[in-house]
Amino acid sequence: MLQKNFKKALRGVIASSLALISGSAFAIDLNMPVGVTPMSHDVYDLHMYVFWVCVGIGIVVFGLMLISIIWHRKAAGYQPAQFHENTAIEVIWTIIPFIILIALAIPASKVLVDMTNTSDPDMSIKIEGYQWKWQYDYLQNGFSYFSTLAADSNAASQLDSGINPDSVPHYLRDVDHPMVVPTGKKIRLLITANDVIHSWWVEDFAVKVDAIPGFVNQAWIKVDKPGTYRGSCSQLCGRGHAFMPIVVVAESWDDYQKWVASMQTSHGAFINPATLQPEQNGSPVVYAPAELNFNAPTPAPAQATATATPVAAPSPTPTMAAAEVKPAGKPAVVAGKTWTMATAMARGQQVFDANCAACHMADGKGNPAMGVPAIAAGPIPNGPLAAHITLVLHGKGIMPAWGNILDDADLAAVITYERNSFGNHQGDLVQPAQIKTAR
Amino acid sequence: MHNTAVAHAHHAEHPSGIWRWITTTNHKDIGTLYLCFSLLMFFVGGAFAMLIRAELFKPGMQLMDPLFFNEMATLHGLVMIFGAIMPAFVGLANWMIPMMVGAPDMALPRMNNWSFWILPFAFILLLSTLFMPGGAPASGWTMYAPLMLQTGTAFPFTIFAIHLMGISSVMGAINIIATILNLRAPGMTLMKMPLFVWCWLITAYLLIAVMPVLAGAVTMELMDKYFGTSFFNAAGGGDPLLFQHVFWFFGHPEVYIMVLPAFGIISEIIPTFSRKPLFGYTSMVYAVASIAFLSFIVWAHHMFTVGMPLAADLFFMFTTMLIAVPTGVKVFNWVATMWRGALSFETPMLFAIAFVFLFTIGGFSGVMLALVPADWQYHDTYFVVAHFHYVLVTGSAFAIMGAVYYWLPKWTGHMYNETLAKWHFWLSVISINVLYFPMHFLGLAGMNRRLPDYPVQFTDLNQIVSIGGFVFGVSQLLFVACIILCVRGGKKAEAKVWEGALGLEWTLPSPPPYHSFTEPPAANLIWAHPYQND
Repeated sequence: MLQKNFKKALRGVIASSLALISGSAFAIDLNMPVGVTPMSHDVYDLHMYVFWVCVGIGIVVFGLMLISIIWHRKAAGYQPAQFHENTAIEVIWTIIPFIILIALAIPASKVLVDMTNTSDPDMSIKIEGYQWKWQYDYLQNGFSYFSTLAADSNAASQLDSGINPDSVPHYLRDVDHPMVVPTGKKIRLLITANDVIHSWWVEDFAVKVDAIPGFVNQAWIKVDKPGTYRGSCSQLCGRGHAFMPIVVVAESWDDYQKWVASMQTSHGAFINPATLQPEQNGSPVVYAPAELNFNAPTPAPAQATATATPVAAPSPTPTMAAAEVKPAGKPAVVAGKTWTMATAMARGQQVFDANCAACHMADGKGNPAMGVPAIAAGPIPNGPLAAHITLVLHGKGIMPAWGNILDDADLAAVITYERNSFGNHQGDLVQPAQIKTAR
Repeated sequence: MHNTAVAHAHHAEHPSGIWRWITTTNHKDIGTLYLCFSLLMFFVGGAFAMLIRAELFKPGMQLMDPLFFNEMATLHGLVMIFGAIMPAFVGLANWMIPMMVGAPDMALPRMNNWSFWILPFAFILLLSTLFMPGGAPASGWTMYAPLMLQTGTAFPFTIFAIHLMGISSVMGAINIIATILNLRAPGMTLMKMPLFVWCWLITAYLLIAVMPVLAGAVTMELMDKYFGTSFFNAAGGGDPLLFQHVFWFFGHPEVYIMVLPAFGIISEIIPTFSRKPLFGYTSMVYAVASIAFLSFIVWAHHMFTVGMPLAADLFFMFTTMLIAVPTGVKVFNWVATMWRGALSFETPMLFAIAFVFLFTIGGFSGVMLALVPADWQYHDTYFVVAHFHYVLVTGSAFAIMGAVYYWLPKWTGHMYNETLAKWHFWLSVISINVLYFPMHFLGLAGMNRRLPDYPVQFTDLNQIVSIGGFVFGVSQLLFVACIILCVRGGKKAEAKVWEGALGLEWTLPSPPPYHSFTEPPAANLIWAHPYQND
């Protein structure tokens, strides 16, 4: 009890003294945030505990040094002593640090054991890192989607963009599709990667776990209160490392349930967790085959085959009206779809900006420093169509195999777009069926 | 008769001009080459850092592509570690170890020449990658697979450059061990050696133990890229984490390779300017040996976020915390050496005191980083950047600068300009704290390391950091000025440059003769630690 009060008092003192500095001078808190999960509170307490231990040791050591520097000076006429050995004191200053370390190790180990205990979760979400975006897979609900840097941040972060980052809300901390989680539930995170090593870090959750190809790492969170929490990729993963933020929206269990239900029937559109309205940006939501979809309500087959009727967004902007919403993602259904030139180009541009522009650049000029060829007047988009499709499907070198990531309709759209944009005029209109055959 | 005389005269001479430096087998010449090379690399790596700080002065990308930023961050690390810090210590070892142990030269002079002359080629190879298609390596100095495998044309050049640096370091280490073990003056037992010599002896063993491990790790990457192996490719049955384990088995002892010689330097400077023998010589030797041993069993603390089993996390947390014990003993011994001494504050002493203060701050953040749950918040943020720059720049680099000012009068025969040197010290020590201290706050607030661009709330602190960086960079020109002026002239230095100096090097004239001790010094001169004779 006493300890608890002391801790509380200590926390108050630190918070107020730090607020004094940070509040007046800087845009950020100068200390680690307390966070919103039980673990983040424990980690914060541990952090402050070891910090004050270090401050204490520092006062003693630096204090003795300062006394020497001030009083034991030759200029002040001080005569040097000649002592040079004392076994007793050596033993003492070996044992005291040892005891301090044990006092640090015990609470640290307790917190660590707690943090690694991912047993008995209420639900699991799989997180996969890509160059340079995150994929969130709601295993028990049968859908997954990509989360990429918000378009306004992306535009402002281009070299010499002329856009002041201060004018962009949540610059480099906003995404098109946030991860959505319920509050008060123990959620197990299964974290892996597709290409290189990434690291999923949300500081308010005190979760930082490397996403490693071929490994599935685990962590758990239990979010105290609803809100929007922001994080980032913490492991250098190439050119776009700074540009793959994480946004997690935590909602009450009821709101979360409504969001999940909407997602399952949105036919590929992402549902904004705040408004529960479908959004037409970024890449589409992908649904797991029914046999892998444990808890989802069984979609009516009639609904799934209603291919020709796209679900229009409630208030479509002109471009969005052109880009049809994809039908529910059964592969067979998608393959049955056909594009017109206008719809393919509109969708293709969205897919390109979300997936390809990171390396090939928004203007299609490529990135010679990285060895990424240009789309504009490039040999592949202006060469044989079959070679173009094969390259996009299967990848080459640092070019990923997009066949594993995008569906037939989006692949057809983006290839069409590449062959008819940036000054290329091949005139090809690629249909999803052609992609299916080429796979 | 005539011919013999000519031959004899020729033998005694050494070539002048450029050939003197290319063909030299003299420990002082080679030491000078090492030190000049490392100073050059300090400015090359520093120029990369200036570019990094310029880009980070404002959010948004103003100066370079993010990939080029990553190249700068990678080369800054590789050049500073393998080009600046390590060769500087080898240069100091070359100059000082024969003079400190009473030897005429290094034990293996021809190999000494070779181990230096490999280095310029290694760095030409590494820096030439900047002009290759695809640019320089951009995966960080840690070269983690699989990201490293995405490197373009630069990939094999980088790896061969690393191989050459490794060969150079191992040869240098062999030479140092051979010199220390075989060429000590009669009467200088191991436990009478100066601490600098002790620290280098242990460092040399670390080098021989771990440089081949690094060579192995990068060779495995080479095999993965060109010969179809799958050491680090999960899709082929390999393990991306294997690289990290092998790399850090090299990498952690490497950290101590860069700091143990600094401990040695500080243990020479502080007693001299405290006019009092080093406190706890024996415990200092044992502490260095313990740190070296522990350095082999803590490597995975660089990888706490990779998802190791709980038992492994706990093991590496405990072993890492243990390092604080011998490190603490060293700091306490330095403080006890100063305690009730008669201190004076010439530039070498100022650098030594700054070392003890600021290295200890780096040690504190090291203890914080050792706690796994807290490390999950600190890992890969600017908090870590602050930590390792406090131990490597205000630690190792400050020790090197202190050593240069300490021994420069001995090397050149002239005193350096004390006023200019003090300006260098004070500008450096103030700007470097403006540079590195706010990084702690940036890391705690959530800014990752190796970011070419950052969210706007980090702007003001990044600007402070950048300004500190620019001032620190410019201040180093004073260092060069001090050295050049001192080489060219100045007040004549005596044999025993500093009033409180102890050790064989101070029995030789300043500058010392070309071959240091052609005859073993008299036993009564071995007074490195006079109380050992009690």
